[in-house]
Amino acid sequence: MIELKQVTKRYGAVEAVHDLSFSAPRGQIVGLLGQNGAGKTTTLNMLTGYFPPTSGQVLVDGMDMLQHPRHCKRLIGYLPEKPPLYDEMTVAAYLTFVCRLKEVARRSIPAHTEEIMHLCGLWEVRGRLVGHLSKGYRQRVGVAQALCGNPPVLVLDEPTVGLDPRQVVEIRELMRELGKSHTVIFSSHLLSEVQQLCQRVVMLHRGRLIREADMAELTGEGDVLRLRASIAMKERQLLPALKGLPCVRRVKALPTPDADISEVLLECSRDGGERGDPRTQLFRLLCALDAPLHMLAVERDNLEDVFLRATSEDDAVHIPVR
Amino acid sequence: MFAIWRRELQSYFYTPVGYVFMGVFLALSSVMFYLQIMAQRSSDLLTFIGQMSYLWMLLSPVLTMRLLAEERQKRTDQLLLTSPVSLLGVVLGKYLAAVTVMAAATLLTGMFVLIVAIYGQAYPGELMVGYLGFLLQGCAFAAMDLLISGLSRNQVTAAVMAFGANFALWMLDMLESSVSIAWIARLMSFFSLYSRNEPFLMGQLSFASIVYDLSFAAGCLALTVHVLDSRRYNGGAA
Repeated sequence: MIELKQVTKRYGAVEAVHDLSFSAPRGQIVGLLGQNGAGKTTTLNMLTGYFPPTSGQVLVDGMDMLQHPRHCKRLIGYLPEKPPLYDEMTVAAYLTFVCRLKEVARRSIPAHTEEIMHLCGLWEVRGRLVGHLSKGYRQRVGVAQALCGNPPVLVLDEPTVGLDPRQVVEIRELMRELGKSHTVIFSSHLLSEVQQLCQRVVMLHRGRLIREADMAELTGEGDVLRLRASIAMKERQLLPALKGLPCVRRVKALPTPDADISEVLLECSRDGGERGDPRTQLFRLLCALDAPLHMLAVERDNLEDVFLRATSEDDAVHIPVR
Repeated sequence: MFAIWRRELQSYFYTPVGYVFMGVFLALSSVMFYLQIMAQRSSDLLTFIGQMSYLWMLLSPVLTMRLLAEERQKRTDQLLLTSPVSLLGVVLGKYLAAVTVMAAATLLTGMFVLIVAIYGQAYPGELMVGYLGFLLQGCAFAAMDLLISGLSRNQVTAAVMAFGANFALWMLDMLESSVSIAWIARLMSFFSLYSRNEPFLMGQLSFASIVYDLSFAAGCLALTVHVLDSRRYNGGAA
């Protein structure tokens, strides 16, 4: 539905986003994850057409944003970091204005805004001035504004920042609900939030894409199976044997207090080939080596680990993008 | 564009800005009416209109200062620029809202005309030409001040700079006679919005002046669009 192709954005000498390509398939919730200053907001501003990229292309529904801005913008509802609200208007008047701006047919505007206000829990405050609303309500008006005109794509920039915990839960619920009928792209620096909501994750660090993957794949339910094993054998003997297994991609030894017991992290292909499940292969190997297995566990990575690994230390560590 | 025009117009009267503008405009023009017409027992409405045109210099920034600077400051431009509206649509919508308020204020000065028409003698043709010039001049000022609002990040800056620019145009007119180099003087009078208005005040329908005022306004609006567009290319908020 939305595709970025080799997009770069420079602010003067500063390169905010470098050679970024990713796509958001129709009907998915895609999370844009990164620390502060990673280029999330810049990316969202480009894909909503707020400003054009320095180079590269933004495609919405197959159309180029720069060449067909009206068509593309009609398909997107955008909640920027700071909701674009006019304080002197009432909630209802504001949403009516946004509907007109989004070219909603005049006659359907009252019903449409009413539906949106109910959906976002704004019906009770419809007659109040936007400037008098609390932060949580302002955020909801921001979401409501993005829904005007019923665009198939919703782009939300850090939609839960600055809200109290209950409001956060409410907004997330709303996003999950909307995700059923819309393509949703949202940015966040909260890993847990992305993990809860998204089917797909795009990780940014210092303006570069460090990883784009389905959530399942990232958290260990993809084609990689991560095993943690504790084996009563010296590392020196054990490691070469483990590396010899065809299903094993990477072996990492972990420090242990006892030199006779090794603890290892194995990255295996989930589909172990003709020799069966990697766990079975490991079991057979250890039997043959007469190395007792003390512990075997499947490591389910949480996103935090993946992200920290990807951005760790000197930032030189790059997990290869598949 | 229509949506933006409508919102801005509503917004003038949701906030005090519209009332302040109308109030000050009418108060000052009443004083002028008293001094020029009543006190002198004159029915020379054209001179009165000529004096009123100084009000544009003073009050047009009040209407325009908010229009673009505030959007930028509050980041509400993110809504406008990501909606299916062109930049030209945004600028025109806002400009026309300011001009509409100006036209409404002008319409209200019709009561002065009515007073003169009842107790004295008013000449419709002459008056229409005078008012046309008056409005065109207002349109030109509003366009220039809107450009200045588009250039600034803050309403107050926008207002002060717009006052300055309006005043400079007026000074241009006064200085013209003291410049001895002929071509500079000619250039100055070419750009002066006030000397352009003179034919109207003599009851002449001057096409040159109409064309000048309109192209001055159009030029300012085109520049405004350009300013906003180039800011987008240079990276939004920067």
